[in-house]
Amino acid sequence: MDVSASEDLLRELAPQVLGAVVRRYGHFDLAEDAVQEALLAAATQWPRDGVPDDPRAWLVTVAARRLTDLLRAEQARRRREDTVAARALPDDWLSPPADRPAPASDDTLVLLFMCCHPSLSPPSQLALTLRAVGGLTTAEIARAFMVSEATMTRRITRAKQRVKDSGVPFRLPGAAERAQRTGAVLHVLYLIFNEGYASTSGPDLHRAELAAEAIRLARVVHRLLPDDPEAAGLLALMLLTDARRPARTGRDGALVPMAEQDRTLWNAAFIAEGVELVTNALSRGAPGPYQLQAAIAALHDEAPTAEETDWPQITALYELLMRGTDNPMIALNHAVAVAMARGPGAGLDLLDGLAGDERLSGDHRLYAVRAHLLEMSGDDEGARTAYKEAAERAMSLPQQRYLHARAARLEPDVPDGDPDPA
Amino acid sequence: MKYMILSYASQQDYDEMSGKDAGRGAWSGEELAAMTTFMTTVNKELEESGELVETRGLAAPVHTRRVGLRDGVPYVTDGPYAETQEVLAGYWIVECESFDRALEIAGRLGQCPAPEGTYASAYADIRPIMESAADMGF
Repeated sequence: MDVSASEDLLRELAPQVLGAVVRRYGHFDLAEDAVQEALLAAATQWPRDGVPDDPRAWLVTVAARRLTDLLRAEQARRRREDTVAARALPDDWLSPPADRPAPASDDTLVLLFMCCHPSLSPPSQLALTLRAVGGLTTAEIARAFMVSEATMTRRITRAKQRVKDSGVPFRLPGAAERAQRTGAVLHVLYLIFNEGYASTSGPDLHRAELAAEAIRLARVVHRLLPDDPEAAGLLALMLLTDARRPARTGRDGALVPMAEQDRTLWNAAFIAEGVELVTNALSRGAPGPYQLQAAIAALHDEAPTAEETDWPQITALYELLMRGTDNPMIALNHAVAVAMARGPGAGLDLLDGLAGDERLSGDHRLYAVRAHLLEMSGDDEGARTAYKEAAERAMSLPQQRYLHARAARLEPDVPDGDPDPA
Repeated sequence: MKYMILSYASQQDYDEMSGKDAGRGAWSGEELAAMTTFMTTVNKELEESGELVETRGLAAPVHTRRVGLRDGVPYVTDGPYAETQEVLAGYWIVECESFDRALEIAGRLGQCPAPEGTYASAYADIRPIMESAADMGF
């Protein structure tokens, strides 16, 4: 087995092994260290000696042995060992019946629910999920979130402590609570994806890896909860959005807006998979926000050219989305869709209504959209001013450069010879 | 020992990087890409040598707000800086074996490619970080 296949297998097994060890012994924090060491041992031994027949069992055994060592090394050694012994369930003393299904996948799901526990802040949920379920190292997570490794170590340690203090039992929450908590799990994956996708500035590979990791985890959740339409919707949304990544930036890292992207660069396999997922999910009753956003992304991805985009349909989907939430960015996107469907004047009218929203009034995106719509309506001078206003408010360099370039394109042609007749 | 390397730039520098001609011409896409690549490479090297503790860039001076106290009441003002005034633009915190090594790192950062003239007067400050009250001689 080559190294990368071995790495994929380890990443896949990491949450299952951690889940199994925590389920059996508790001690989430120490179990995590023990599993990391087992994974490290596997990463060095397997490529040399070959993969064992049952790699998961191998890892669980090594991690359990390591956990015992760690517990022994603790100060209150006797007491903790008693705890471990007491926690070994009768099942663990006997060989399991042959017809008992492997609990591996459920363990991953329980782990996810544990990491997304409501007693944790969203940044802690993100970090813990990437560490425990994603199997990323603390250094990798720290780089992705642009904080020092020491800061991330503290954040993860505190999160683990909090999980321990809250006394969350290692099992799936009941049906009612599960429905509620699934929302938190999906939201965390959504945030991980956005961190990797939306804030990309310049050629930063670590962040692209974060989006890939979010997609991998969303696949796991969709596999574990195949009947949850929002889990399917979220995976579809990620695939349909990420499909455009190769065309999103030019060679020098500059932003390329969707209308100007080379659509042949889009990831056709992701688009096909995303479209199928969201189509199936939408057939199952009132759609949630992830499915609606995925449906919008699908309409963009399926249009052969920017001009052939089904804007009336996108407008209708944004209107459905606005019913469920008071999000100014959705209202702004809706105004764009209306402008594309019914003409820039209709969009500009909607923008006037949004300008009073404090959450949006200082935001460069409001000015950027106004600039685009003014340009569409033929008001070059108004558009130029609005692009410049947007550039002044934008903080990221690629955005500023994009907006300045648009403004420069609208400069009135300077006649040859003397530019200033006065 | 930890050292803080402070780099400076003016609103004019930020404007020109953002594609606006603020007097000396806007940066081209290639010039900006050359800078980004250089910084990414050097930061990665420092990360791999274990010397990088943290590095951040600051938003343009125009986004600065200054908070003061007048008659016991806090007040906020916009952009306290003149366009050409050099202000803190970013910092690196490095942990390395000597002051000389910190100076060497700052010197390397100073070799960042930029349009001619931009960095003619560029400089960085390097200051040791006090870790505890004992360091300060208390």
